[in-house]
Amino acid sequence: MKSTSFVVVGLSHHTAPIELRERLALPADQAARELETLRERCHLDEALVVSTCNRVEVYGVSSAPTEALTRLRERFIERAASPNVQQSLYERWGSEAIRHTFRVAASLDSMVVGEPQILGQVKEALSLATMAGSVGTLLGRCFEQAFSVAKRVRGETAIAAGTVSVSSIACELAEKIFSSLEGRSVLLIGAGKMGENAAKRLARSGARLVVVNRSPARAAEVARACGGEARGIEQLSTELLHADVAISSTNSDRFIVTPEIMHEVIRGRKRRPIFLIDIAVPRDVDPRVGSMENVFLYDVDDLEKVAHENLAARRRAAGEAETIVERETAAFEHWLGTLAMTPTLVALRERFRSVVHDEVERTLGRLQHLDPKERDALKAMAESIVNKLLHRPLTELKNHAQHTQGTQLIEAARRLFDLPNPSALPPAMTQETPSLSPSASPLNPGESKIHSRPFDEAPALAPLGERKGKV
Amino acid sequence: MSTEHLLFLSPALFYALASLGFAALLARGDETLGRRAKLALGLGFAAQILLLVYRAFVSHFDSLGGIHQTLSIASLLLVLAFLSASARYPLSALGAFVAPLAFFFALGAGLTPEGTTLSPRMRSLLLPVHIGLNLLGVVAFALAFALSLAYVLQERQLRRKQLGGIFKRLPPLDVLDSLGLRLVAAGFPLLTLGIVTGTIFALRIDPQGLSPGQGFAILAWVVFAGVLLLRFAAGWRGRRAAIGTILGFLCALVVLLGYVLRAGGGG
Repeated sequence: MKSTSFVVVGLSHHTAPIELRERLALPADQAARELETLRERCHLDEALVVSTCNRVEVYGVSSAPTEALTRLRERFIERAASPNVQQSLYERWGSEAIRHTFRVAASLDSMVVGEPQILGQVKEALSLATMAGSVGTLLGRCFEQAFSVAKRVRGETAIAAGTVSVSSIACELAEKIFSSLEGRSVLLIGAGKMGENAAKRLARSGARLVVVNRSPARAAEVARACGGEARGIEQLSTELLHADVAISSTNSDRFIVTPEIMHEVIRGRKRRPIFLIDIAVPRDVDPRVGSMENVFLYDVDDLEKVAHENLAARRRAAGEAETIVERETAAFEHWLGTLAMTPTLVALRERFRSVVHDEVERTLGRLQHLDPKERDALKAMAESIVNKLLHRPLTELKNHAQHTQGTQLIEAARRLFDLPNPSALPPAMTQETPSLSPSASPLNPGESKIHSRPFDEAPALAPLGERKGKV
Repeated sequence: MSTEHLLFLSPALFYALASLGFAALLARGDETLGRRAKLALGLGFAAQILLLVYRAFVSHFDSLGGIHQTLSIASLLLVLAFLSASARYPLSALGAFVAPLAFFFALGAGLTPEGTTLSPRMRSLLLPVHIGLNLLGVVAFALAFALSLAYVLQERQLRRKQLGGIFKRLPPLDVLDSLGLRLVAAGFPLLTLGIVTGTIFALRIDPQGLSPGQGFAILAWVVFAGVLLLRFAAGWRGRRAAIGTILGFLCALVVLLGYVLRAGGGG
């Protein structure tokens, strides 16, 4: 049976090297034309392209998913001008595609799980596709839902908590001691690469930078690269007097910062706190310095321990996040199922109502002696009989919306009650946007106000978030 | 215990709930409980205002005379200062230290009799001035005390490299340190004048000598004077200054406790 389905075809850092991703990347100015091509040639009713440095993916809705997937693969091969790209492509459809969308937006598929940029990139992709007119109700709703999943994941799990690189952690700790690095001074002792990176990171937050090194030429070189001043190693003690943060990364095999030096320094500093970061192996700072008052010493093991803890916390959080994604995927599919079932539900109710309406009118025609109050009571009784009779069948149909059994039930209902065959697309998909107001749901058979509302209204569904309990 | 008495304890109850909520915010990062804690603090505040108004109009509001009013206003000012500070700065986690203090003040107020009618000998303009100055001083020191506790905790965690939840939720060390210093510097002249007026007042009533309460008040003054002196002259900062502030405030608390016990026992 042909049915409308979500499809995704693409490649990412998981499957493709950077060269290939670069070759297929779609800058914003080319994306609009590509979206048009995709819809014309790839059996897509709706289409959206996500192109970042880590992924190039086409998201779509198609009433012929199998053909769409084949065409999309071909299109990727054509654009890469190489059949080898096939090995790097993955494809998802149906619930797999929905789950993938949610996972990508929630940064669960990212290189650094929990990184925040991807959500913004996906949002841009959606607005680009919306402007190009290639996004309709289904894809639009799916991505809106993906954003809300991402928000939930960030809010309810620790997925984005804690930085995971040594220089960011150093920066975070420095800010925990000095609140802001603006105007603080950072001393870089030695000119190792790792130290340079950390110093650059701190300088970016507004700190002044001084580099001391055994080789003045190298000190000057690093200072130039990071926008700081260079000093000779003999000025170490003097510079320690003024520094708020000192990062040491020399390749000396002896301690450079000893308790003796630090005693002098602390006295001169009038007990202003100093944050020492020793990322040299072997270490540059005597560990005894760490127990001195107002001196905070972190070596490379300490920093890496923090990084590992943060990463572990993110991984634990990813587990919880996957559960959220699972639940939201199920909820979205349920919504889709009810969407597809809506015409049958509406027709079934309409059939019953019209029969009752006709019969009541005919009976009332014969009972002219009844006063208006009695006539209303009779009408209400008839409505009530319809509602009660329909309660169970409607509930069953709705509950089985997303199972294959649901399709059989719909078929049975259509034959048993001689209902008209609905069009291939559910009405909500052909309209602009389905109403999301839960109070306007004609699908709830238990709703007492239902008879006061015309049935040819657009079927409306509660927002997914509010239906969690019922799914 | 009369219904009225129970009513007087209601702010303390709100502050106790707030303390629990803030503790959950600090320990587990429970934002929802944190927000509720702030609400509880606000409700306690409102309850205290209502009680003060009630007292002013229904029973007789006897200036700033008794320890009951003193404690009541102390907790009121403390909560007001904290709520307005945390509305502007991200200091909510400090509620875990401030709310219990507000609770103790409000509990003290709830347990002491309010109707201390002053003997004509004690009626003097000096008394409300003395109490008012001390009140403001105590509130400044109470906030400095909370900041210092947070400092000591935060510094210990940084030193032990325990960078878990509590660490993440407390403000940076230098914020705690400089705010603490400012509060002590503001509270000190208030306490000084408070003690001077108190001593003049006490000597006028009873020229025989000073009570143990005044002894502790002077001890608190000496500790705070030391903290300030060492800070400005010897560049003391950080942990030592925080511990000094904590000790100074504990002395001030002993003074207050003495008053509460005397008033509670007497009533």
